[in-house]
Amino acid sequence: MMTCKEVSTLVSMGEVASAPVTTRMGVWMHLAMCRHCRAVRRQMALIGRAARLVAAAFEREPSAGFEGRLLDHLRS
Amino acid sequence: MEETSLWQACGPAIRRRSREVVNQHARRLYRAARGMGFSSGDAEDLAQDVFVTFLETIERFEGRSEVGTWLFGILHHKAQERRRAHSREDLRDAVDEVFEGRFKADGSWREPPIPADRLVAANQTAEALRECLSGLPDQHREVFQLRQFQELSAAEVSRVLGCTINHVGVMFHRARVQLRACLEAKGWGRSR
Repeated sequence: MMTCKEVSTLVSMGEVASAPVTTRMGVWMHLAMCRHCRAVRRQMALIGRAARLVAAAFEREPSAGFEGRLLDHLRS
Repeated sequence: MEETSLWQACGPAIRRRSREVVNQHARRLYRAARGMGFSSGDAEDLAQDVFVTFLETIERFEGRSEVGTWLFGILHHKAQERRRAHSREDLRDAVDEVFEGRFKADGSWREPPIPADRLVAANQTAEALRECLSGLPDQHREVFQLRQFQELSAAEVSRVLGCTINHVGVMFHRARVQLRACLEAKGWGRSR
C-alpha cells in the first residue's frame, strides 16, 4: 500500500500518468480511499487552472509591431 | 570598410526561414520570459537575444530537434545569463522541510491539505498565485511556467533545460509545494 507522502509526491510531480502500471494502480487505489490525497489532486488541478488565467494576462502583450522590431534588430 | 551584419551574412534562404521562425515563435518566447518573472522590457530584450543566437547557430540547428524546443533552450540559457548579471541568487530552498513537515514518519498526513470543497475559485486563486510565483526560486518558476503556462510535457522541458525528466518532476513538485504553502498562507480555502 502506498503512503500519502508517496502518492502526493507523485501527484505533485505530475508523473502519475507516465508511471508504471502497478504504480498507477497503487495511486488510484490510494486515492479512492484517501480524501486528503484527493484534496491534493484537486489543489493541483486548481493551481493548473489558475496558472492558465495568469498566463492569459500575458496574451495582451507584447505591443503591436513586436516581430517587426525584432527583425529590425536582427538586420541592424 | 563597411561592416557586414549577421543578417546580411546569412543567405536569402536562411533570412526567409528566420523571418518565418520569428513570426511563429517570438510572441510565445516573449510571454515565456514574462512568465519567468522578467519585466516587459527585459522580456523583449531576451526574445531579441534568443533570435540573435538562433541566427548565429542556425547551421548547427537544422534538423536536430523541434525549432520551438531549440528556441526555448536558448531562452533558458539567456535567462540564466541575465539573472547572473543582475546577481539574483536564490539561496533559499527550504522546500523539503515544508513538504516533510506535513507528514508523519509512516508517510501519513500530519497536516492534511485544505479540503477540496473549501478551495476558492480559479480566478481568486490566480490573483494570489501571481504573487506567490514571484517568491519562487528562478529555476522552479521556470519549470512551473514551462509545464503550466506553455503546457510543455516533462520530456520537452527536460530537452529545453538539458536535464533528466525525473529532475524536471522534482523541480515541478518543489514549485507546487511552495505555491501550495504560499496560497494556504494567503488564506486559500479559508471561509470568507
